[in-house]
Amino acid sequence: MTAFFRKVQWWLQRRRRESELQDELQFHLSEEMEERQADGLPVDEAAWAARRDLGNATLVREDARAQWSWVLLEQLLQDVRYGLRGMFRNRTFTALAALSLALGIGANTAIYSFMDAILLRSLPVTDPASLVVVKWRSGPRDRVNPHSFVLRSADGRFDPDDSGVTGPIFPFPAFERLRRASGPVLSSLFAHKPAGRLNVVIGGEAELVQGEHVSGNFFRGLAVVPAAGRLIQEDDDRAGAPPVVVLSSGYAQRRFGDATGAIGQTILVNNVAIAVVGVAPHEFFGVDPASSPHLYLPMRATSFLLHDLGEEAYIDPNYYWVEMMGRLKPGVELSQAQSALSGPFAQWVATTATTDRERANLPALRLEEGAAGLDSLRRQYSKPLYVLLAMVGLILAIACANTANLLLARSAARAREIAVRLSLGAGRWRVVRQLLTESVMLAALSGALGILIAIAGMGLLTALLANGQEGFTLHAELNRNVLLVTLTLSLLSGVLFGLAPALQATRSGLMQKLRDRSVSAVGAGLRTRRLSLTQILVVAQIATSLLLLVAAGLFVRTLTNLQSVALGFNRDNVLLFEINAPQAGLPQARIADFYGDLQRRLGQAPGVRDVTLSHASLIRAGRAHGLTVEGRPTDGTRVLWTGSRFFTTMEIPILRGREIVESDRQGALPVVVVSELFARTYFDKADALGRPVEIGGSLRVDGKPLVFQIVGVAANARYGGLKGNPPPVVYVPYAQVPAPQLERVTYAMRTESDPLGYAAAVRRIVHDADGRVPVTNVKTQAADIDQTINQEIVFARLCSAFAILALTIACVGLYATMAYTVARRTNEIGLRLALGARRGGVIWMMLRDVCVLTMVGLVVGAAAAVAAARLIESFLFETKPNDPIAVGLAAVVLLTSALVAGYGPAWRASRVDPLTALRHE
Amino acid sequence: MTPKPPSRVDLLRGTLDLLVLRTLLPGPSHGHAIAKHIQRTSEELLQVETGSLYPALYRLEAKGWITASWELSDKGKRARYYRITQNGRKQLVAEQSKWDAFARAMGLLLKPADEEA
Repeated sequence: MTAFFRKVQWWLQRRRRESELQDELQFHLSEEMEERQADGLPVDEAAWAARRDLGNATLVREDARAQWSWVLLEQLLQDVRYGLRGMFRNRTFTALAALSLALGIGANTAIYSFMDAILLRSLPVTDPASLVVVKWRSGPRDRVNPHSFVLRSADGRFDPDDSGVTGPIFPFPAFERLRRASGPVLSSLFAHKPAGRLNVVIGGEAELVQGEHVSGNFFRGLAVVPAAGRLIQEDDDRAGAPPVVVLSSGYAQRRFGDATGAIGQTILVNNVAIAVVGVAPHEFFGVDPASSPHLYLPMRATSFLLHDLGEEAYIDPNYYWVEMMGRLKPGVELSQAQSALSGPFAQWVATTATTDRERANLPALRLEEGAAGLDSLRRQYSKPLYVLLAMVGLILAIACANTANLLLARSAARAREIAVRLSLGAGRWRVVRQLLTESVMLAALSGALGILIAIAGMGLLTALLANGQEGFTLHAELNRNVLLVTLTLSLLSGVLFGLAPALQATRSGLMQKLRDRSVSAVGAGLRTRRLSLTQILVVAQIATSLLLLVAAGLFVRTLTNLQSVALGFNRDNVLLFEINAPQAGLPQARIADFYGDLQRRLGQAPGVRDVTLSHASLIRAGRAHGLTVEGRPTDGTRVLWTGSRFFTTMEIPILRGREIVESDRQGALPVVVVSELFARTYFDKADALGRPVEIGGSLRVDGKPLVFQIVGVAANARYGGLKGNPPPVVYVPYAQVPAPQLERVTYAMRTESDPLGYAAAVRRIVHDADGRVPVTNVKTQAADIDQTINQEIVFARLCSAFAILALTIACVGLYATMAYTVARRTNEIGLRLALGARRGGVIWMMLRDVCVLTMVGLVVGAAAAVAAARLIESFLFETKPNDPIAVGLAAVVLLTSALVAGYGPAWRASRVDPLTALRHE
Repeated sequence: MTPKPPSRVDLLRGTLDLLVLRTLLPGPSHGHAIAKHIQRTSEELLQVETGSLYPALYRLEAKGWITASWELSDKGKRARYYRITQNGRKQLVAEQSKWDAFARAMGLLLKPADEEA
């Protein structure tokens, strides 16, 4: 330790120490000289002898100094200083290299921050690694008769794939059974269920808020500590217990100022007064990163908010709706817990089957890692993110290759400097270290710039992904993980692109470089060994750029294909918004009247041409009922509940008969309008008008389907998304739908001018009609459609940006390479011109090199593109992965850009003055 | 020029430290004198290179086995004098016993070989 302090002290006084060392060696020299003189040598010879004896004085000093200082550190500082000077001197080079790398690093950081947020981040609770998610898996469901399955009805999603079905939802009795069985392996097993958006009124102001029903042990199982008050406990979660609610910290803050202010308040949830007993901690967002509920409600005590089934939902063994998570006991493995629980579940589920077909395909329990919470976001975004990550990875590779190329060109310019250093005795490693220091500095600068670019990119990406959706909860951030990745990426790329040029520059055969300055230039041209590395890098850049250009082309074509899908209705100047009157507490009997009245009020507003409503917007709708035509089932037919003047407002032509009008209401003859496709499918050439349609399912009255009469045939219009074939559609007047079925509706308003300009008027009119009812999801019809193809839009835009980025970087690389070649071949070109070569010929000679490099790159890139395109096939729409137009266009764009990039240097080559060039030596 | 010794022995790695410490045991000395002392005492068999002497001195100083100060030499010139420290003495003892063991081992191994030949 004292030795360390001594070193520090010495290092601080190194200037004095330096002169002392000088004095000491001087003294040594004079002593030696005196001694030699005493031996009888003349003065000057004695001095020479003494000097010879001392040897290389500088080296002695260096070695001695090495004992008291941190040589590595000193040399590093020296290298950094030297590097900074060099960077400042070559500002253009530094700017180009740093910018292209920064773009690469920034893009990678931005995408990685999303991966971190979506795929890697753990739930902010104690020991997330011990959490498990409970799911079931069964064989494929019978397509012909999907009902031969113990899951007879469900509230929640389950996912069929090629080999079977996976589901996270269970009947409530299964939860109770598993809770009893889980004691030996789980410290707790808790349940939850998304409540959707609930109508919350606080202080007379209504809004829709995401809610979550949780079991009494939910918070204890997750080991969450309240920010204020208390969290939901076992006692709260009993049938008949007074309903309580726990708020999220963000919501409490927004509505009550702070967490403590919310405790003891009473809020109206779907028109029921509920007391706030606690606030969840700030960082807690529930168990699903895809949604962050603001209200947590005990499952049993607030069953009235859950579903129409009431108490039945807690008993029915064939109604699947509860999601479950658990926490492993210390030392228990996931597989142990699974085997401990699957037995009891299998036993239980066997008792719920009533037919042999149900018994043949029983769901089996399985446990999954739960550290990151539910996987809904991961399933939605993981594949697109990997594709994006691959793209930005390619961009970084291009940027690295580009920087390596620029450095190679520069190190060629510095060849003499390096040769001088090496011949003066600098070690090869020492010179390599100096060059690496410079490239790592460049990378560090790029990394810093890259973080700025990443911040901008993350904002942009969030906006792109959200695309105006309400309640978009995904937010990426620059946390320690992400910054660490950026740092690693920068350093790694610095070493990567720096190492090859550094090794090349210090290769042996340097003496030659010192001796002949430009001999190598004559006739050597692109064929020397150094250039072959440059060539490989250029070819790689062009190939990679082509890959990205092709991808961009494919995504843009996909998007244009989607956008040119015939809608069958007019999307322009339509404002959409949602209203949910029953949730706000309006009595069932008044719902239809309220909606009709609102439609009339909105229609009277100035600038509004037409107003209508439907249970959902056409593009988002997806409703099916057991629908028969004279007893024949109509598989695949979809239903839309519509208001009057729907077809006029949406501008869907009525081909025969009439559209739905205001007098089609409860008590009048039940009527429907059908789509042309429906009429053609079920009535062939016969006239559909006047024929009956029976709608069963939830529209049954007294166990019998409702019978409707067809009064009109409308032209086909898109229903439920832009992809796939449009289904046959039956339009039912909402006013003739039995009241309990009516919930949320979407109003569509055709306006004179920009639809969003009417949003304020809409809110006022709705508030005047009933203050409890909030207006949500206000957007234009065009935006509504765009949101359904959001991924395609994001991909097309991002990929185009990436492709342009890659193209630019590759062109910069090509330009630099050509400029360098021209510089090296100045003599040769001068000679050629002196011997009578024409200037046009010189330009062509240089461009030929560009063409050869580009063509090679194109061939390699096209092969790679065809191979890689299969990976993105699932993202394409009516576009083949090896779409010749996309590939051809990309090749043409690339070749043109390459020629443009190469033309400058080539032109400069042709302007070489033969005399100057030859005199140059 | 001084007459060349018949054959010169290269210093074994690590022995220079031992020799410097041993040289400084009787009293302080400067770099040149240390080199000369080693040279003379070894009957010119050991030649201390200036290139390794000064780095060695600084290394020993860094380890705290010797200290240095500027003093006037017997000829009245300012010279950097090195002095062995308490730690240096301990180190010398340790190094010396190590060396003795090494030398004895070498002797034991090499002598029988001589006899056989």
